[in-house]
Amino acid sequence: MSERGVGASIPRKEDDRFLMGAGQYVPDVQAPGLWHAAFRRAEIAHGRLISVRSPAVAAGRVFTAADMADIRPIRSIASFPGFKGSDFPVLAKEKVRHVGEPIAIAVAPTRAEAEDIADEIEVAYEELPAVVDLAAARSPESARVHDGWTDNLVCRTSFENGDLEAAKAAAAHSIVRRYKMARQTPFPMEGRGALAQYDGRLDELVVWMSHQLPHPMQRGIAHFLGLEINRVRVICPDVGGGFGLKTFLDGETLAVAWTSLRLDRPIKWVQDRFEHLVTDADCRDHEYSIAVHADADGRILGIECECVVDAGAYSPWPWPVGVEAATGVGNLAGPYDVGALHGRSVTVCTNKPASQPYRGVARPGACFTDELALDSLARRVGREPWEVRLDNLVAPAQMPYDNVARKHLDSGDYPEAFRRCVAAIDPAAVRERQKTPEPDGRLIGVGFAAFYEQTAYGTGPFGYSAWGIELVPGMEMATVKLTADGGLWASVGIQSHGQGLETSLAQVAASELGIDPDRVAIRHGDTATAYAGTGTYASRSIVVAGGAVAQGCRLLAPRLARIGAHLLQARVEDVTVAAAAVIGPGGSVSFAEIAEAFYHHPENLPDDTDRDGLTVTAGYNDKVHGGVFGFGAHGAVIALDPETGRIEILDYAIVDDCGTRVNPMLVKGQVVGGYAQGIGNALYEESPYDANGQPLAVTLADYHVPAAPMVPDPRYGYMESPSPYSTMGIKGVGESGAIGPPAAIGNAVNDALRVYGVEISETPITPRRVFAALARAGVR
Amino acid sequence: MTGIALTLNGEAVAAEVAPRLSLADFVRDRQGLTGTHIACEQGVCGACTLMVDGRPVRSCITLAVMADGAEVRTVEGWAGDPVMATIRDCFKRSHAVQCGYCTPGMLATAHDIVTRLPGADRARIRHELAGNLCRCTGYVGIVDAIEAALREVHG
Repeated sequence: MSERGVGASIPRKEDDRFLMGAGQYVPDVQAPGLWHAAFRRAEIAHGRLISVRSPAVAAGRVFTAADMADIRPIRSIASFPGFKGSDFPVLAKEKVRHVGEPIAIAVAPTRAEAEDIADEIEVAYEELPAVVDLAAARSPESARVHDGWTDNLVCRTSFENGDLEAAKAAAAHSIVRRYKMARQTPFPMEGRGALAQYDGRLDELVVWMSHQLPHPMQRGIAHFLGLEINRVRVICPDVGGGFGLKTFLDGETLAVAWTSLRLDRPIKWVQDRFEHLVTDADCRDHEYSIAVHADADGRILGIECECVVDAGAYSPWPWPVGVEAATGVGNLAGPYDVGALHGRSVTVCTNKPASQPYRGVARPGACFTDELALDSLARRVGREPWEVRLDNLVAPAQMPYDNVARKHLDSGDYPEAFRRCVAAIDPAAVRERQKTPEPDGRLIGVGFAAFYEQTAYGTGPFGYSAWGIELVPGMEMATVKLTADGGLWASVGIQSHGQGLETSLAQVAASELGIDPDRVAIRHGDTATAYAGTGTYASRSIVVAGGAVAQGCRLLAPRLARIGAHLLQARVEDVTVAAAAVIGPGGSVSFAEIAEAFYHHPENLPDDTDRDGLTVTAGYNDKVHGGVFGFGAHGAVIALDPETGRIEILDYAIVDDCGTRVNPMLVKGQVVGGYAQGIGNALYEESPYDANGQPLAVTLADYHVPAAPMVPDPRYGYMESPSPYSTMGIKGVGESGAIGPPAAIGNAVNDALRVYGVEISETPITPRRVFAALARAGVR
Repeated sequence: MTGIALTLNGEAVAAEVAPRLSLADFVRDRQGLTGTHIACEQGVCGACTLMVDGRPVRSCITLAVMADGAEVRTVEGWAGDPVMATIRDCFKRSHAVQCGYCTPGMLATAHDIVTRLPGADRARIRHELAGNLCRCTGYVGIVDAIEAALREVHG
């Protein structure tokens, strides 16, 4: 085991280039003869396209859907009952269905000139009533987003497990609540973007994309443009954050690729912030109705719920809408020992951008819902919420535990992790403080949240037995080879865009072979170097690519041992592979010496040297198809100013368990980074629309991203409960930090408001919503 | 087109620029210095922050013509600066970098904090960082790094 391998907080290999300003993102990529693209976008939310006229001077520089008739329809599939698919237009055809929908692409030598041309394109519409409000969208009188549809419902799902009637009959209390989580944007610092260029020598279209899924994009671009996969290469270079946004095939990229082929010229499009805030206001936007049935002490007996998701206008590829709502229902039982769960989901089509998964997918909303309802239950039964939670959490003796939503919770000591979080917050001290009015008139509140994080999903949820969608993960590959100078090179199908996987995957190889991580090169984000994979999403990469790299090393080791033993004149049974060498009874040979023999002096090799060479392509073999489960406990203390509605986070504690931590420093970075996004979700970020479907937060003056003063240092603790199923017991951790904050902060706010007998039920918890709650109490 | 002459990373540069060209686009597209990142183009997020005459400036809302006669320093131009070397080292040790997109702007602001405010505590560091958004780190590693750099530079 290398000291710098799994478990070591080594600094990141990728930092050197970023700190020198030498990272290379799509906007930085250059090509000879490069032209830039700008898009003319819909100014209205819903309307029939009457005409699109480009200025005469722009002949050959503007293209519309009519020009791109040879692009195959993009249709995302799902097996949800009654699922209605909708073609995802590259550029708007016949109708526009949300503000910002691209209508035409304009190209020019500079972006400024391309924008000038785009501005001069004249678009005439027949405006139609916009479908904006969820309830109105469901009424039979509503306008239809898609003309051929009988209503605006995309699909309904339902889930039933356990005896709900018995739970209701036995219940002493039933808490019935409605909650809402607002629409927002994922807001990576770098927006979407693409550069497409035809390589005549290779007869290959090269597409640089700011993206998380290189291989699925290669497949999609090839298919929709009618090319063989051999003729498309996708490169995802340094990517300035993704958070789920960069997991679908966007129309802009296909339009850029098509135009570059049409003009035989490299074309680049870089999304600007206005475009991001308008077209990528595409995540969250859930409404929940929940009934929690419990006994007199607050033990949960059964849960009923409905999750309604505003999915926007289209189903993107490869993720159809519907997944979001199904995920919401599937997580509403939380990490608790619950006997019955009956859930329904409804996915509704509206004139807003197409719904996308964002860090946590629906879990932050589900957690907000079940955790706020649990605190309401605790108040009803007259107990402290943290005590009620401890009574309901799945106990370690029950592990592995198949929960009521058929999640196989594989390991962990949930009560102990939660107790540590409670101890860090010390709610008894908060209760003491609350007995005396604050000198500044503010109200103090304390709240907690507990959740599991389902990571590295396999075929289970995605496959035909459940969601039946286009992209089913489950096989993730790595190629590992010994280089001619004794270093290690590994390529993977995942894509690292902030997670530090160039470092953490090198640490996995270091632990397997004893090689220093500095001598391990990890290559990702390029379909030409990686064999296969589905990319980075769903907190999967360190689990699946880590497993694949480890497996590659394990298959490579015996080949190294055979050559090493021969060079040492030892029997292969008597040698071991460690410390980047093959070690025998009487000495050792380094990987460099073995590589020298294999690549340059085959006369020194044994006759039975493996003809497969010193390279292995291996896959991660997931033993469970539903993924491996981490756990998180969050606690918050807040001060609420009834005069201004402002909420300040006074204290925040996190105890997280992601199994074996490959690089503890990077794990903490993921958790704390997620926590900051969770604060945005809880208190600040919202993409509202007016009744005409016009977005109201299209600049950073309206859309509030947490800045440093809004993110206090959390107190961070961890446990390590290795998964019995994954390589080295690793669990994913990318989304965990973002799941808990809306619930923990929401519960703290409701604890502060309890003196008035009111609760908040919507994120973000803005001053306006605080005032509305106070008004309900007759305070304002 | 307007003629400008400035010092860019220690070297004299003269260019003809369109009046509407931003300083960010000038250093990126005309000078090939792509370390300066553009993320909001409205002067809020701070990703494009660089130094003009020793002060941090948002290059997305500064016109190239406004830099006429100025001394401009981008993330590529800190060779030989011991304070920046310390800051970079602290950023690496404190895990202050994830996707790297906000990093060049953060480094410019960090250099300003470390040189201008030797006694800054964590709250002051956070206040000074309010004009630089980071979506990945939750700022904790960045504040840690600047705190460590202040200690190392000023003792």
